[in-house]
Amino acid sequence: MKPLEGKLALVTGSGRGIGKAIAMKFASQGCDIIVNYFRRREAAEQTCEELKQFGVKTDIVKANVGDPDKINELFDTIGERHGHLDIFISNAASGVGRPIMEIDSKAWDWTLNINAKAMLLCSQRAAGLMEGRQGKIVSISSLGSTFVWPTYAAVGVSKAALEAVTRYLAIEFAPKGISVNAVSASAVATEALKFYMKEGLVKDMSSTTPVGRMVTPEDVANAVAFLVSDEAYMIRGQTVIIDGGTSIALVPPVTEKSENK
Amino acid sequence: MSVEEQVKDIVSKIAHIDKDIMSRESTFKEMKADSLDIVQALVAIEEQFDIEIPDEEAQKFRNFGDFVAFVEQEVAKKG
Repeated sequence: MKPLEGKLALVTGSGRGIGKAIAMKFASQGCDIIVNYFRRREAAEQTCEELKQFGVKTDIVKANVGDPDKINELFDTIGERHGHLDIFISNAASGVGRPIMEIDSKAWDWTLNINAKAMLLCSQRAAGLMEGRQGKIVSISSLGSTFVWPTYAAVGVSKAALEAVTRYLAIEFAPKGISVNAVSASAVATEALKFYMKEGLVKDMSSTTPVGRMVTPEDVANAVAFLVSDEAYMIRGQTVIIDGGTSIALVPPVTEKSENK
Repeated sequence: MSVEEQVKDIVSKIAHIDKDIMSRESTFKEMKADSLDIVQALVAIEEQFDIEIPDEEAQKFRNFGDFVAFVEQEVAKKG
């Protein structure tokens, strides 16, 4: 029997990128998947097609998790169609990249609502569907919660809030039998990142990552799969860093190129 | 209300733009709509008309007229 057989997971923002990789990993372990998307139905449908190769059941629900009413509609729909939930992954993210003096109230609210408030409101609703099921919740953060990157202030703060919400939920949900954790990745090699690299906003970090390559969506998915497994039972409220060692290497590793200088 | 009027209504509310200064020739820069205003307008319009506006298409809009024309085309496709 596969480790997640008979389980049902909701992965927000799973039409592409990290969310899709998590959905694929779960499906490979026998988990039925609810794909949530915001604007691209075609990508979500494509993800479902790919998930079906693992012989699991899939469902698609559209929702902007930055809107509390849409969150309620999302969980009402899940409740009506499935009646329960075993795993909730708070992955959907957005954000406004601006220098701190250019962040206005609207940009702040947009970013914080999708990246942090959604975790709180979705987890509250998810908990109701997880009663008696040993539920698992994992949020997807980023190193910008702790470290400072140019134009990342709003997103970085939202991710710090996300990690704090994760810790509080972990303690308050422990008596309900629900485990809550976060994973935090450095820049992940997704299509979105390729766009930013092409625009010159982000550099290829392969040479400055101690393991010699960038983090992939599958690396993040592997960590999330561990956190929802029974082996991770005693891990609660933690933020697991997935960065190939980047954040603890104050001096970037010596590469062949720099040795020749 | 025509599609153009509805789009104008949504964009003006989201970006706090006076409808009187919005014409088909106006660029988003001229209307002082920032990138978040545009994203929020796209989301609201997709919701209102039950259509999808891919980001790749949105990036091609030179002015408000292109935006309206795309929405009109997608609404017409839906019949």
